[in-house]
Amino acid sequence: MGEVILTMKEIDKSFPGVHALDHVNLEVRKGEVLALMGENGAGKSTLMKVLTGIYTKDSGTITYEGKEVEFSNTREAQEAGIVIVHQELNMLGHLTVAQNIFIGREFKKGIRIDDKKMNEEAQKLFDRMNIDINPKERMSNLTVGKQQMCEIAKAISHDAKVIIFDEPSAALTETEIQELFKIIRDLREKNLGIVYISHRMDEIKVITDRVTVMRDGTYVGTLITKDSTKDDIINMMVGRVIYEDPKTESMVPKDAPVVLKVDKLNAGKMVQDVSFELRKGEILGFSGLMGAGRTETARALFGADPIDSGDIYINGKKVTINNPQDAVKNGIGYLSEDRKRFGIVVQKSVAENTTMATLEEYMSGIFIDKKKEKEVAQKYVESLATKTPDVDQLVVNLSGGNQQKVVIAKWLTRDCDILIFDEPTRGIDVGAKSEIYKLMNQLAADGKAIIMISSEMTEILRMSDRIIVMCEGKKTGELDISEATQENIMNLATREIE
Amino acid sequence: MGKIKQNPFVKKVGFNRIVLCFVLILMYVFFCVMTQGAFTGMDRIMSALNYAYFLGFLSLGVTFVIATGGIDFSIGPVMFCCALVSGFSFVQHGVPMAAAMVISILVGLAFGLFNGYLVSYWSVPSFITSMASMNIAKGLASVFTKTQSVSWPQSAAEGGWYRNLVKMGSIPVGLIIFLVVAIVCAIVLNKTKMGRYILSLGSNKEAVRLSGVNVKKWEMSAYIICGLLVGMGALFYVAAFTTVQPGYGDQYNNEAIAGCVMGGTSMAGGLASISGTVIGVFIIALLQEGILALGFRKDYQLIITGIIVIVAVFSDVVSRRRKN
Repeated sequence: MGEVILTMKEIDKSFPGVHALDHVNLEVRKGEVLALMGENGAGKSTLMKVLTGIYTKDSGTITYEGKEVEFSNTREAQEAGIVIVHQELNMLGHLTVAQNIFIGREFKKGIRIDDKKMNEEAQKLFDRMNIDINPKERMSNLTVGKQQMCEIAKAISHDAKVIIFDEPSAALTETEIQELFKIIRDLREKNLGIVYISHRMDEIKVITDRVTVMRDGTYVGTLITKDSTKDDIINMMVGRVIYEDPKTESMVPKDAPVVLKVDKLNAGKMVQDVSFELRKGEILGFSGLMGAGRTETARALFGADPIDSGDIYINGKKVTINNPQDAVKNGIGYLSEDRKRFGIVVQKSVAENTTMATLEEYMSGIFIDKKKEKEVAQKYVESLATKTPDVDQLVVNLSGGNQQKVVIAKWLTRDCDILIFDEPTRGIDVGAKSEIYKLMNQLAADGKAIIMISSEMTEILRMSDRIIVMCEGKKTGELDISEATQENIMNLATREIE
Repeated sequence: MGKIKQNPFVKKVGFNRIVLCFVLILMYVFFCVMTQGAFTGMDRIMSALNYAYFLGFLSLGVTFVIATGGIDFSIGPVMFCCALVSGFSFVQHGVPMAAAMVISILVGLAFGLFNGYLVSYWSVPSFITSMASMNIAKGLASVFTKTQSVSWPQSAAEGGWYRNLVKMGSIPVGLIIFLVVAIVCAIVLNKTKMGRYILSLGSNKEAVRLSGVNVKKWEMSAYIICGLLVGMGALFYVAAFTTVQPGYGDQYNNEAIAGCVMGGTSMAGGLASISGTVIGVFIIALLQEGILALGFRKDYQLIITGIIVIVAVFSDVVSRRRKN
């Protein structure tokens, strides 16, 4: 293990209302792979954003190659040799591989772009990495795994000395992950410093040398990977137990009626022949990798996107759902994964958002009864413990968790029997997360049927009574909670489909 | 400054609108001083008001469209089309005055329906739709009138009673009607389901749609209201000026949009103020009258309105960026 190349010391960063980083330390050495671990919202991404100049730190020091540095944007960090390979790929599908790699710094021949030279240079990179990709191929024709290789090639072409991998394996198949590991080992050989952010314990054991753990924005500690057990790391990550006990068996009575039955639902490429049943009082988890078609299934079911074929039965009766209005009339509510775009109207107040789906109940004649509207909003603010000064507050001023509660309130006023929670705790801090969990369990106990889409394995295993796994638009498996493990879900989620 | 904004009265009325009122008064004083008092007469005020009425209807109408996040560049030419078609029907085809007035409103309504349907049900961008219907309106009016200008009857002539819309004896009927319509608009926008959904979908259409709301219907309704108000505006135009020529009306687009945006309605949608629009329209109308009184040609007014639109939109963009 080589000398220290990068040190982040006592890094502190606050956002309005959130202490995102509380004196965090991080040390990266040449020729090692450092795992950065922590639950969602622990501050890993924030720390990396501070490092690469996307956020400015409030205090603390960053020392890189012996000098104190402060980058003001990713470009500066890149030029210095610190590069992030993002989880979401920043690739332009209609350009070629080579054009993507050299975007923003194209080789020129006079005023013309020298595509030939770019292709050659890209080929050299791939040769060095020992991977087989045609530089002239259009990016959109590559698999997600290959696209990720291109991201890495791009990082290396910047003459990187430190490469940060932000959950690189989230969208990869088993074989692709093996290929990725080969490349990472190769980079380690070449004496680069590597930071590997991931949730997957098994990968951490295989690929990393040391593990730094964060929790709730604080630095917990650093371990040598080979000297520590899985449990050591988990204990450091979770610390205090704040969640409800995970389910070990389904809470749903065997004879609970089926409220929703979906039969061979087809909608575009991402939803193919999806069938399932949902029972009263059940939390049905939808697991799978990014792009597995879970959100698309939910959106088709809710009428947000057009259905090509398939039947939907609610309480045994066949229904037609052409648009969200139909879905809402049939008692379905949908809480989107992307609150800001699809869930809330940020420039409107808590009260106005609460009654968005039920405005006709708060009318007196042709006028909106604002007093009645505020009363019901107030009622839900209290019962959901939403933190807001008053119901006239604009939703834009609320934190993520409280915005989510406003969306939940919107569907509770509607008294929906079927609720679809799409990534219910994405971007929500740890405390609010456990409240959302409690609430979902309460709703299920009250007899609502819940579909929960989640990319967080711990969340799926903690909340679901039954789990449906999807992969590339198809349902690949269905597991009772009593038989579900991280491993067998992962297997189903990454199954290669002919 | 911060203290003033926190004052409960200022908060209720709106800081922006108080500033606009001051601008209006200062402009009036400025023109009075610059014309050595020639501007103080009632004539000038009445003339400015004549301009404010029809422009006010256009501006109120476009406020609804802008609230949805759309835009309408057809209002001026559509107003002329309404006035031409109905006026020609009266003059050439002997249609009774009352019926001609109804025709004017119906033509406006038809254009509102057309624009609204294309924008909300066919998802044609409002910019393109309204540009197209601007040309359709001009062409239609020219075809109908055989490219002749139309003179509505003078007060004393048969059917001339329609001019009472603007002024009956010494009562400024126009002002009363305009303010009443503005109040109705404010109620519709702020107190009814229609207004709530128009503003909400202007702010985040997809979120409203996914709440199970028929967003197409409500988006279209904004264009229909706009068309209706434009049809009414046409009557106030002819009641004030009697003569209409085919092929014109574009400049009023800019002026109406300027009044609306200056009043605090956001071009991004979701935020609209009827009272702001009313004051904005008075400012534009006063400016127009003032520039003439100062002896400048009318062209200068075009330049100034153009600048006002840019400044108003820019300040809206800046204030939103600051909030983010």
